Amino acid sequence: MKLLIVDDSSMMRTTIENHLQNYDLQIVGKASNGEEALQMVIDKKPDVVTLDITMPKMDGIQCLEEIMAVAPQTKVMIITALSDKYTGLEALKKGAREYLYKPVTPEDLKEGFDSLLNRN
Amino acid sequence: MDVQQLAFEKTVNVFINSLSNYFLKLTKKPIKTYAPFVKEPEDLIMKECTGMIGISGNKKGLIYISGDMGMFEDLIKQYVGLNSPTANDMLDMAGEVSNVVAGNVRETYGHEFMISIPVVFKGTPDRLKFPDDVPIYVIPMSWNGHEAFMVVGIK
Repeated sequence: MKLLIVDDSSMMRTTIENHLQNYDLQIVGKASNGEEALQMVIDKKPDVVTLDITMPKMDGIQCLEEIMAVAPQTKVMIITALSDKYTGLEALKKGAREYLYKPVTPEDLKEGFDSLLNRN
Repeated sequence: MDVQQLAFEKTVNVFINSLSNYFLKLTKKPIKTYAPFVKEPEDLIMKECTGMIGISGNKKGLIYISGDMGMFEDLIKQYVGLNSPTANDMLDMAGEVSNVVAGNVRETYGHEFMISIPVVFKGTPDRLKFPDDVPIYVIPMSWNGHEAFMVVGIK
């Protein structure tokens, strides 16, 4: 399974990579903004994307809309500090399959990822 | 205490709760906070590593979280799992902590509480910006033997 990690924090990209090491994943890219992420989705066709929202150039909500337009089968898990219900619902309506609030523990990530993989 | 100051102190408490939750959830080690005090922007001396978030929408202002490199190094080792972080990694972590602390405040203030992407810097810049007529609270804290502080200036 191909994974793309998107977060403007390099430490969060490393955290997500380290905490998902037990899954059979091929990390096909890491992006620090929505524009880079969209290009990587087009070029590398990941099965799963972990997507931050507050990012430069293109935020995660706009990026999610663009991903759903070009690759609607992609499973997107939002991982964001924005902990209000409105933003979570907006992301789910726009096609995200999971929504995790930072700060995320390794257990949160595994639970969210398992839930994402077990859904049709 | 007037109504405006009371409201501001409630806001400060929301940020303190968010900061406490961050460290406790990720490291299982609580922070200790000390009595907040008011400071003029020109008198603020930042620590080695600072993350700053701009606030707009239904509140306006800035928050800073500032600590020594050692605190962010310790946090990276415990949370990220990176044993030899660079100075840039520690600055990035300062930005990420400030992002999460500010972003989690939306649980209280809703989606119209807008946050910027983090700005990070080393040491004290020539000028720290705050909105006019806003009390600037410094909240000292310690975590795992490291001293740091959060600065909140919001209206």
